[in-house]
Amino acid sequence: MKLKTLALILVAAAALPSCSRFGKTKGETAGADRMVVISQQYNELIYALGAQAHLVGVDYSSTYPPEIKSVTTVGYHRALSAEGILSLKPTIVIHDNNIGPEQVVRQLADLNIPMKTFDAKDDSIDGLKALLREMGAYFHKEQRAEELCATLDRDLAAALERAKTYTTRPRVAVIHYGRASNVYLVVAGKGGSGDGGAASQMIEWAGGEQAIQGKGMERLASPEIIAQANPDIILMTEFGFDRLGSLEQAKTLPGVAQTNAARNGRIYRVSEHQLTYFNPETGKSVEQLADLIHQSQP
Amino acid sequence: MSAPRDRARALILLGLFAAMVLVAVASIRFGAIDFSLRQMFSATLALVTGREPATLDGRIFAELRLPRAVMCLLVGACLGVGGTLMQALFRNPIVEPGLVGTSSGAALGSALYFVLGSVLKFNAGPWALPVAACIGGIAATYVVFALSRAGETGRSSIVMLLLTGLAINALCLSGVGFLSYIARDPQARSIIFWNLGTMSGADWKSVTIVGVATLGGVALSLRYAKPLNALMLGEEEALYLGVNVARLKWAVLTINVAMVAVATAFTGVIGFVGLIVPHILRIIHGADNRYLIAGSALLGATLLSVADLIARVSLRPAELPIGIVTSIVGVPVFLWLLRKRQYVF
Amino acid sequence: MLSASDLVYCVGRRRILDRVSAAFDPGRLHLIIGPNGAGKSTLVKLLARLIVPDMGDVRYGGADAQTLTHRDLARRRAVLSQAVEVAFPIPARELVMMGRYPHFTGRPSAADEEICDEVMDFFDVTGLAGQSYATLSGGEKQRVNFARVLAQVWRPIVEGCRYLFLDEPLTFLDIGHQLGFMRKVRSFADQPDMIVVGVVHDLNLAARFADRLVLIDDGRVAAAGAPEDVLTPEHLQKAFHVQPIAVRNPADGGLHLIFE
Repeated sequence: MKLKTLALILVAAAALPSCSRFGKTKGETAGADRMVVISQQYNELIYALGAQAHLVGVDYSSTYPPEIKSVTTVGYHRALSAEGILSLKPTIVIHDNNIGPEQVVRQLADLNIPMKTFDAKDDSIDGLKALLREMGAYFHKEQRAEELCATLDRDLAAALERAKTYTTRPRVAVIHYGRASNVYLVVAGKGGSGDGGAASQMIEWAGGEQAIQGKGMERLASPEIIAQANPDIILMTEFGFDRLGSLEQAKTLPGVAQTNAARNGRIYRVSEHQLTYFNPETGKSVEQLADLIHQSQP
Repeated sequence: MSAPRDRARALILLGLFAAMVLVAVASIRFGAIDFSLRQMFSATLALVTGREPATLDGRIFAELRLPRAVMCLLVGACLGVGGTLMQALFRNPIVEPGLVGTSSGAALGSALYFVLGSVLKFNAGPWALPVAACIGGIAATYVVFALSRAGETGRSSIVMLLLTGLAINALCLSGVGFLSYIARDPQARSIIFWNLGTMSGADWKSVTIVGVATLGGVALSLRYAKPLNALMLGEEEALYLGVNVARLKWAVLTINVAMVAVATAFTGVIGFVGLIVPHILRIIHGADNRYLIAGSALLGATLLSVADLIARVSLRPAELPIGIVTSIVGVPVFLWLLRKRQYVF
Repeated sequence: MLSASDLVYCVGRRRILDRVSAAFDPGRLHLIIGPNGAGKSTLVKLLARLIVPDMGDVRYGGADAQTLTHRDLARRRAVLSQAVEVAFPIPARELVMMGRYPHFTGRPSAADEEICDEVMDFFDVTGLAGQSYATLSGGEKQRVNFARVLAQVWRPIVEGCRYLFLDEPLTFLDIGHQLGFMRKVRSFADQPDMIVVGVVHDLNLAARFADRLVLIDDGRVAAAGAPEDVLTPEHLQKAFHVQPIAVRNPADGGLHLIFE
């Protein structure tokens, strides 16, 4: 992620003011509520809850769902400026305690700008549901929140049932490739969503096993580690996969080439968004994942 | 000094001053929010008379925009003068003010704060980061200075200083790299952005501190302009001209470190300004340090304000890190001047 | 009067100068000659107080040079060292004005400007005043540096004698400029409060222009005195391993050496 940030910065710098996410006019709604929400996860849930009517500003990393790109962005969430946020005349600034630089929070507080962070954390399915309910209550979309929770429970239960029917338990590795000059970033680790736990958890539910252990969400892995872990299946996020172009190309990568996965042609393209944190679609994602890793080889 | 040359110089400095004022006005007027002249006036009035401005916009102007604009001028001046001092001291045109460990030490100090601060659950308030960075910068420079004194006095010591500085820089930056690697995501990103520089943290308190350091440093630098001119001929020649070279080196380095460490502590690392401002001035009117020091204060202030304006306006309401903009603004100007005049080294 | 007594100077374990004593009077041109590596430059640097001897002392007009500050020394003593390399663009005239730095704080006075004009005229570099030093030829740079150095001690001072040291000033100069320079230095040295000490390689120039010669060989004074007394066949054979033929210049009776 850290090196991805650099790529992001360069992209942001190269983006001209004509880039559609910047420089939007500010007065969308005549109503009193104007929300600036700086959190990738919160924004996704807001759209899921249908509460985006008063959204006037989001951070640069909030890219899901695609409709969100029409909302003005206040910049990268670790490189904000108080003035920029305030130019949108927000009535409330909602964030998940992951904003920077530090002084911006202070400046907003000094100017008595209302700020909010939700208590629940999206670090597990229960956490996600708690967050949905808390946000549902805040935005007066309680019913929708309940619907989403119910759907999530149902989809997940179905996925787990499905997973039980599989007899194999393949070893799976999730690889971000190509973000930083041909270095591998491997999603490893267990625990909450902040450190890659979502992906690990989902693999477990899908009837697979994490091939590469370790702390921290993303680890720079040398090709040897991948080769040594020898996963049966490699899930490659779309950025890297598209860069390489095809399965054949992916099979030739150093470290990957020596794995079972490459030998059997079991390298699949997945959406990064599905694996990074728990979201209302997680149930369906687990099911898709299960099918993917258990399908017989092509 | 001949009269026409004197006149030319005075005109150039006057022109730079006018440019600085113009850019300063633009930078307080425009940004994510464009203030009207009436808003600016009433907010300034409130500020000066000690009251709080009536509207939120007024408060934004008085508490965010105005100190930020002043900070740009101060830090720009500080970096410009620092660059002049270092290039004169090392008699080397590719030297930056943060060369002898100041920038990289400050980067290390701030990286340590970002990473260890959260590990040790250390939160000493808003001054912890600037203090950590400042101490880092000064400590690294001191190490450079101490290590390079091991040799004999004379010609070798400037070279020793340069080489030791490069070595310590490399060490500090690899320390920063390592800390970035072991850090969690938010800390790692903080480190990256700190190293690209930002003026967004400016408030009146930090402006006062940087102001004292910068204005004091610039005033003192002017006193050393003449000895630095003599140093252009070489250390031996400067000695023959009556310059106490050892004391000059120490004084100039101390001034530079004090200014740059303090500025960097509050804004992060902003590169390129200190390197090119003296060059541009030399191309225009030669290398007399009296002219260069005054000119680089003015031109540095102007350049950084322009860069900050671009950083704030081009992607508004988002902001670009200012370090990127300083390069984008500075390089074309420099190349254009280089092509227009014959510039001999 | 400039006197050096029993100077010893070592670099590491090597003794560059071994108990060298010499005296230099005002109103005379003194030249130091000797083979390469003899210690001539070191002697000049010691006399000019750039470096301090390990033993012995240097006295300026009776006062120990150690007691004078950098600034005091700079007002009365000027040194022309090997050609200066300047990395930054600076007009020739500003370079010359640097010679006056020890004499003013802040801005130069009218007297300083006048001196610069005079000294640049003396060395024929007035036309180069506005040009950037870095663009000049080697010889022109040399002459601009002469002007700067002489500007430092151009006018008499109340404190006593003035001292001028020239460390191999004739490199980069063609024969015409060499002679011209030596003539100028000669006339400069004639002033009663001026002590001039220089190092040259050309023995005939030394013979022609010097009042006193000091022959340094292997860190010691091999001979000192009038040119006739120093440039004897024995001394020249021992120091330079040459056997020139000495003749008298029919025009003025001066000593001239012919080398084969």
